[in-house]
Amino acid sequence: MSGPIGKRTPYIEAVQKVTGQAQFAEDFHFSNMLYVKFLRSPHTHAKIQNINLSKAKKLAGVCAISIGRDLPIPFGVLPISPDETAMAVNKVRYIGEIVAAVAAESEKIAHEACSLIEVDYEPIRDFLEPDDSLIDCSPDEQIHSHSKNGTNVHKVAELYFNDPKKAIQNSDISCTRTFKFAGVTHGFTEPHATVAQWNDDETLKVITATQVPHYLQKYLSKVLEIPLHKIRVIKPVVGGGFGGKSDPFPHEIITSYLSIKTHRPVKCVFTREEVFISNHGRHPTKMTLSVGADKQGKITGLDTDIVIDGGSYGSFGVVTSYYNGVLLQGPYRINEFGFTTTRTYTNKPQCGAMRGHGAVNPRYAMEVIIDELSHSLKMDPCDFREKNFLPANTLTVGQLRITSNGVLDCLKAVREKSAWDERYGNMPDGRGLGIACGFFISGSALPINWNRYPQTVVHTKLDFDGRVVIFSGASDIGQGSDTMLVQITAEELGITMDRVQVEVADTKLTPVDLGSYSSRVTFMVGNAAKSSSIKLRDELIKTISKEKNIKPESIQFENNRIFTEDKSLNMSWDEGVEICLAGRGSIVTMGYYISPQLGGKFKGSGAGLSPSYSFGAFISEVSVDKKTGAVKVEKVWGAHDCGKALNPLAVEGQIEGSIHMGLGQAISEELVYENGQFLNSNFIDYKIPSTLDTPDMDVTIIESDDKEGPYGAKEAGEGPIHPVLPAIGNAIFDAVRVRMYELPITPDKVLRAIKEKI
Amino acid sequence: MSVKSYLKPQSVTDALIMAKTHANYLYFAGGTDIQVYLKQQLIKPDHIIDLSDIGELQNIASNDENISIGSMTTLDAISKNNSIYKDFPLIVEAAQSIGTPVIRKTATVGGNILVNNRCNFYNQSFGWRQAIGSCLRDVGDLCQVTKTSGKCFSRNVSDLAAALFCLDAKVIISNQNEGLELSIVDLYNQDGIDFHKHLDHDGILTKIILPIDAGSTWFKKLRIRNTLDFSSLTIAAKVYDNRNFRIGLNGVSMSPVLITGNLDMIDLEGIKSLARKSCKTVDNDMMPLKYRREMIDVYLDQWWVSIQK
Amino acid sequence: MIKVTLNINDFDRTLLVEPDENLLYTLRERLLLTGTKKGCDQASCGTCTVLMDKKPILSCITPTLRCEGKSIHTIESVAKNGKLHPIQDQLVKHGGLQCGFCTPGFVMTSIEFLEENKNPTESEIKEALSGNLCRCTGYKKIIEAVKAASEDMK
Ligand SMILES: Cc1cc2nc3c(=O)[nH]c(=O)nc-3n(C[C@H](O)[C@H](O)[C@H](O)COP(=O)(O)OP(=O)(O)OC[C@H]3O[C@@H](n4cnc5c(N)ncnc54)[C@H](O)[C@@H]3O)c2cc1C
Ligand code: SF4
Ligand code: FES
Ligand code: FES
Repeated sequence: MSGPIGKRTPYIEAVQKVTGQAQFAEDFHFSNMLYVKFLRSPHTHAKIQNINLSKAKKLAGVCAISIGRDLPIPFGVLPISPDETAMAVNKVRYIGEIVAAVAAESEKIAHEACSLIEVDYEPIRDFLEPDDSLIDCSPDEQIHSHSKNGTNVHKVAELYFNDPKKAIQNSDISCTRTFKFAGVTHGFTEPHATVAQWNDDETLKVITATQVPHYLQKYLSKVLEIPLHKIRVIKPVVGGGFGGKSDPFPHEIITSYLSIKTHRPVKCVFTREEVFISNHGRHPTKMTLSVGADKQGKITGLDTDIVIDGGSYGSFGVVTSYYNGVLLQGPYRINEFGFTTTRTYTNKPQCGAMRGHGAVNPRYAMEVIIDELSHSLKMDPCDFREKNFLPANTLTVGQLRITSNGVLDCLKAVREKSAWDERYGNMPDGRGLGIACGFFISGSALPINWNRYPQTVVHTKLDFDGRVVIFSGASDIGQGSDTMLVQITAEELGITMDRVQVEVADTKLTPVDLGSYSSRVTFMVGNAAKSSSIKLRDELIKTISKEKNIKPESIQFENNRIFTEDKSLNMSWDEGVEICLAGRGSIVTMGYYISPQLGGKFKGSGAGLSPSYSFGAFISEVSVDKKTGAVKVEKVWGAHDCGKALNPLAVEGQIEGSIHMGLGQAISEELVYENGQFLNSNFIDYKIPSTLDTPDMDVTIIESDDKEGPYGAKEAGEGPIHPVLPAIGNAIFDAVRVRMYELPITPDKVLRAIKEKI
Repeated sequence: MSVKSYLKPQSVTDALIMAKTHANYLYFAGGTDIQVYLKQQLIKPDHIIDLSDIGELQNIASNDENISIGSMTTLDAISKNNSIYKDFPLIVEAAQSIGTPVIRKTATVGGNILVNNRCNFYNQSFGWRQAIGSCLRDVGDLCQVTKTSGKCFSRNVSDLAAALFCLDAKVIISNQNEGLELSIVDLYNQDGIDFHKHLDHDGILTKIILPIDAGSTWFKKLRIRNTLDFSSLTIAAKVYDNRNFRIGLNGVSMSPVLITGNLDMIDLEGIKSLARKSCKTVDNDMMPLKYRREMIDVYLDQWWVSIQK
Repeated sequence: MIKVTLNINDFDRTLLVEPDENLLYTLRERLLLTGTKKGCDQASCGTCTVLMDKKPILSCITPTLRCEGKSIHTIESVAKNGKLHPIQDQLVKHGGLQCGFCTPGFVMTSIEFLEENKNPTESEIKEALSGNLCRCTGYKKIIEAVKAASEDMK
């Protein structure tokens, strides 16, 4: 490849970001703007008996107040669980739920007005633990009336292939363990922010920190009852998402509503505490996992029972429930396979999608059990894994279609680089190595909302100025998708990246893309951008070959020049553009992506389907202080198969960021609940690792060349997090011979485990 | 709710006059502690008296016997001061364990000594506190930790205090009646609400005086991350040439705790049992109570091993 | 409201502020200098770091009235006439940023550090940046960029 594909490419917006020019949602100021603040529930579960706004309304500077009844239409990112309203209607379901919103001339006034609103509540029995939610309760105690069989169960997802229980029973060896995972949250540095502006032409413009402008447009339309074509959602520069900005949010809907009501621009910026309260993070999880193997170390079956604590609303929970199970089908061959995931509603902030969606906790459990099984068989845990890997081009038992697969290369790379074979099991007391592998989807093959449209469309525009503009709905949230689009287009057209610009994530200007979630963007939008730019190149070839009477096949594009091998044609890009646009002016080509038909014919077969899967293997080295139980992760070697690294700089960044985030969940991060509210909704007590806590990292990119991915590429943004946690857990075992079944692995737990062993 | 004036005295005398004439004021040093209290509406002063312009509070002076540190010296400045570094590495170690490097460029020695006591159930937003029904130290009538109405057990978290306890530091306070010099130990009350003493009559902590005295010191702070975190347990210890020792513990009681003795008169178990008796540790920190208690023993063990060498 | 004159990015500005107003608010909301970010507003993330008399401070907890008579520099003043400061340049080249929200804070913290420390080791860099949270990068490329910038500044 002669262009930028595969080269280390700084982000196109990097200079804007280092100079402070990049505009995030909170940075937008409009004249005559109002500010919103929210009154939030102090109760976990209570009926709203009365709301008295009279005092608040009288406060000077208050322009509008709205309450749940104003926006009663339910929504939810998944059309199967529209269980949320913009504000609490009739009852509140968690502490922190929005009960009323005030738009005022300043934040201070809005805040003060909120404190003047009087609400009478009648508390109802609350359900704070999943165990409580599993048992029967009276209908008026139910958190949601649609819950199953008079309980507070939101969803039971289960799939069984063959007879895993029996297979495990009949295995030579088996291991069954119960694991507990605390809830964790995204912790992006930019708090949620939204600016809404209702225009004179009765259109709504919403600038908001989101990963899913398209879904937001859809639900704004639904809840506000405004036609889709009057809503323009713009995603500015976004300060991280990791899944935490991938739902349509109440504050976005309310801010928009208040702008419509007041006919003025309205701004909403969350405090850090509000970001925590909104959560949508990884579900607190309890799971029991059984895995069997034969004497040769072949896995014979897997059976698991998982309960995830969803909090008060659905969010992505149905998908999370399935992902907890189905994504255990790789990277190992398991023919006897089954899981049941139960998602409960509880009176706590809702959980949703977070990097590695649904699969991070089960991956920890699986990789720890594999470690135990290999120890029972006195087999090297790397060898054990190697024996069980799925090959390339195969189907799993649940008919996930595996295409490219570089897991073996990943394992070999980290095994060698960490000097595993010499060092594993031979390290001084208190120091250890651990291995784990990973597996993740590269885009969900099924769209969330079933429809007949492609999953993404890209337009590529060429005009007289020689500039190429890519129009795409793709949402860059820091992962580098804008840069990826430019790289691909520059590559195909043989022009330098400075000639290519993007217009992205604006539902008025850009064709629909479903959003930045499920690691879909490079694979799907990359393919669409590639096909669109190829069409543009074909237009250039067609017109130039006709005018210059040259065979189309001989025309090449490189370095801003259009030429033939023999130089009978040798013109600048601009000359070519002039020929191409003669007599018609600017042209636009389009490309799209539709996932192939995949999957089986059974209920639940759609879960986990992806056009491709990523793989990885990570090794970590830890030291453990046996006196205090403190764990220090010294180094992590990570190898990830991303098919092809379109931008190695960005891929490394994703892997390094995953190591950091995985480390946090493994040893320090935890949302601590105290009667339904977080005890630690701040950056002092929610412990995101600092520079001093983050280990050395050695990153290896494995390129398995996916035949359907753009240039062979597949995902790198989420897959790398999965192996990080169990690699740490397994290294702790190697260091001090204790198994950690509970996350985060804080010093007190390690110390307890060490003491219990003696 | 809002502050009416922001005052910037140029001398201690100025500050005292302002304090006298402005009811419900707040002394503001670096502000790295108190700002969050203001934002969370835990305190609602009408006037802020910013001590940062007072030059006389920023001096570090030394002679053969002691070093005196102005209360408004930043933690960063004391870490970089040569005489402190030479004679009191313990102070440097303690100071560098506080907050973050950037915070330490603003945070002051005085502010750290007088840092407000902390508790999981108190250091929260207004809305959060309202949802639990507040607590004794705020406007409620129950302690949320003990669920009783008797006493508040908020924790003193000053890392410097632990170090200064074992260095036998003195503090100088100026107030409307001239002022006083006292042992740092006397500055604290074993009370989660009224945790400081001798600051009445608008008292301003002006100086810390450290006697130069040979001995070997030891410091350790319990926290999850190597930065940012407040202490879950801080132990500083000094053994003098005559085998007298002073141990300062903090983060585990309503005030810093001092244990003194002579190594020839007491053994490790005796010291541990004294520590256990003196600390009123309750479950109001992110780290589990049992673990923090265990760590008192473990740290004392480690200190003990270190002095055997 | 109180009248105050502030020297911001080498330019005097006179404006009215509240007695308990913090510099972060003044910069972002009154002067529309939005490059300085509000990640937590509680002194625990470092995104709001600016320089006061060349020293990094957290603007979210710095009273605006304390800044009178001091010189304040924000991220907007770092690149001069379109020329990036070495740390900015190296952050770009090394991929030391992803979402970019933490970046202004890292730049401001690094500037003073690099002035004070001409030959920083990796562990000194880590220590100096330990109050700046980044959720995207895992810090590795940021640390490399600071190291490289120190070379450039020699
Ligand atoms: C992220 C973060 C981490 C932190 N980590 C730690 C930590 O690890 N350990 C720790 O101990 N603290 C920590 N702190 C709290 C605080 O930063 C330090 O204690 C700091 O030293 C306080 O100094 P200051 O000058 O900023 O105090 P201020 O906030 O200005 O004042 C603190 C209190 O002392 C009073 N006061 C200050 N000076 C005087 C004086 N001269 N006379 C009379 N009264 C006075 C004030 O009225 C106020 O009540 C942390 C804070 C943050 C935001
Ligand atoms: S110890 Fe009890 S009374 Fe004191 S601050 Fe904590 S909850 Fe309140
Ligand atoms: S916004 Fe100031 S430190 Fe986070
Ligand atoms: S680049 Fe996103 S937080 Fe640092």
